[in-house]
Amino acid sequence: MRSGEVLTATLENGSQIQYVYDANAPRGGMKHTFFTPDKRFAVQFFNDPRDSQNPRLQDRIRTIVGIYNPTLSEADGGALGNTEKTAEYFRQRFCWPVAIVNSPEFGIVCPTYPSNFFFGAGASTVLNLTGKDKKSNWFTGRNRKYLEPAERGDFRTMLKTAIGLARTIRRMHQAGLAHSDLSCNNVLIDPKSGSAVVIDIDSLVVPNKYAPEVVGTRGYIAPEVLATLALDYNDPGRALPCVQTDLHALPVLIYEYLFFRHPLIGPKVYSATSAEEDDFLALGEKATFIENPDDRSNRPPDLDVTIRSLSKGLEKLFLRAFVDGLHNPSERPAAMEWETELLRAWDRLVPCANPKCEKKWFILRDELSPVCPFCGTRAAGKIIRLGFKSEMRGKKGVYRGKSEVIVYDKMPLFDWHVFSNVHNDEKADPSMRAYIAYYNGMWLLVNNGIEGMMSPSGRLVPKGSAVELKDMAMFRMSSKENGLLCETTIIGNA
Amino acid sequence: MSDYIRRLPVYLLLDCSGSMAGEPIEAVKQGIKTLISELKGDPQALETAFLSIITFDSSARQISPLTELMLFKEPQIQAGGATALGGALKVLAECIKNEVQTTTATQKGDWKPLVFLMTDGAPTDNLDEGIDAIKNVSTGNIIACGAGANANANTLKKITNNVLMMNNLTAGDMAQFFAWVSSSIKASSKSIDAKPGDPIELPPPPQGFVIVP
Repeated sequence: MRSGEVLTATLENGSQIQYVYDANAPRGGMKHTFFTPDKRFAVQFFNDPRDSQNPRLQDRIRTIVGIYNPTLSEADGGALGNTEKTAEYFRQRFCWPVAIVNSPEFGIVCPTYPSNFFFGAGASTVLNLTGKDKKSNWFTGRNRKYLEPAERGDFRTMLKTAIGLARTIRRMHQAGLAHSDLSCNNVLIDPKSGSAVVIDIDSLVVPNKYAPEVVGTRGYIAPEVLATLALDYNDPGRALPCVQTDLHALPVLIYEYLFFRHPLIGPKVYSATSAEEDDFLALGEKATFIENPDDRSNRPPDLDVTIRSLSKGLEKLFLRAFVDGLHNPSERPAAMEWETELLRAWDRLVPCANPKCEKKWFILRDELSPVCPFCGTRAAGKIIRLGFKSEMRGKKGVYRGKSEVIVYDKMPLFDWHVFSNVHNDEKADPSMRAYIAYYNGMWLLVNNGIEGMMSPSGRLVPKGSAVELKDMAMFRMSSKENGLLCETTIIGNA
Repeated sequence: MSDYIRRLPVYLLLDCSGSMAGEPIEAVKQGIKTLISELKGDPQALETAFLSIITFDSSARQISPLTELMLFKEPQIQAGGATALGGALKVLAECIKNEVQTTTATQKGDWKPLVFLMTDGAPTDNLDEGIDAIKNVSTGNIIACGAGANANANTLKKITNNVLMMNNLTAGDMAQFFAWVSSSIKASSKSIDAKPGDPIELPPPPQGFVIVP
């Protein structure tokens, strides 16, 4: 076979697909990859015939492509309860195998990643990155400085990336699946748009199927997996990749996105014998969070921005993940908790008043001290908080808080700010329903398409009209069923 | 903030004896160029790998000190003279001693260096002296590649267990060798997670190369 030769593979359903042979095909730890002539799909075969001929592996991959597939609607043979809308949502976030190849040998077909996960021309003036995939660590380590500023995103888009990843992993875990090798190589990110795509889905751990024999990637392997690596695969003491080990890798990635550093790699020397032994302990048995409040042995002396610069909720989750849960997997926060707290933090995101601030946005932790932790600039003007409350079922006039946001000029509001039964997730309509405007010295909440929005005095606010956000102003976002009550608080009102 | 990332030192020992003149030495130059550009495209390699080149003909010298990839300048290479392989190993031992940071109780040291040796002939100096010299320094994998009909696998086996033979000295084979070196470095920079002391798993060698058992 020559490179460039077009070959034909037969899929399990009998149809055929063409792919281009390449003698230097990209080769990962498990598989090598060819592409269809139109480059829309990757056709992947296993490096080791013991894998491709392993009936247990084949069986596991069949269920991944079929009944566990969140990128196919239930009607099309995908996951139970999946609609075409949610399937489409996750097609943008997973590179999920879509078909099984039977001949010339067992393999899989995956869609290629969306084009925003490849570097375009002009991504860097010092490196030739055109066409390379955007592995996370281009953006989170010292390589970042070689990228053009427009490519790097800012704190807001990195937080958005983290939300997207947490949601994607939550969806996977919800089905009982574990990725088992979540890492900077298997999560591609586009900080420009704030999106993430999870790839290498074929080594998933599937409930009641024989687990894949992957260990993971350095820096993302859970400490218990590394610490028990020397034990036999079948030894009951051996920790294997599972949902709980994903729940170590996930916050490592989130921490890297937010801080551009690794949560466990600090100055502490664990073994003077060799770098390898030291590293093995630093990421395994003896791992210590660099921000551990009770054990400062691994804390870099020049740590400036820390988890205390995030929301209180995120700080707590990081402490659970990297202090309580670091060596105690059952303590680790679930992906859904990450998704929820990241979204809460998103609602407290404010723009930095310093036009030169590299991060551009920060999470407002202390409303009485609105200072950007990255550049030290104090926010100018008032801080306005909106509290969205829902009426308790069967208790007319009794309200319960649903969410809070800190407003800024041109902030968009969505259905989840209008209705108590809509949440910011894959099922919600992402259309803007209202927005905040600072106009003529007034803060306004402008109706952009909500039916039945009411003013504080109880008058209808039609589309295009606004409510002025005065301290203590209270109004219905919608008088329709499940419409939320909005309560305005101006902090430091002077 | 400092990032505490360990360096992965990579030493290339390249035979520049007279028999390499012409196409082979041009292929080596091209190979180095491609290697650098490949590694710069891999985020892990770019963060961790530091490269040094030692050449040997009638004598041996380090022509590129251990340098991070972004600052690495392609060296001038010419072919001519004999094959001072023993001398090259002595230079290697000296460079590792001077350039590679060891881990101590207070300092995070570098990863064990990765060494690629390429030669097309039999050593013309005292090889045993060189072998003794490298016994005194800590190296990770040493991979020796014998190129062409005059390279002797048994000689290379005295240096390391990892010996590959490539049949020809053509530009194509040389390009494949450098491509393999590149994927080996990439693999090492990612998989430095194996049990301490275990050899690093390298990708399978290119077609037409034989691993000497």
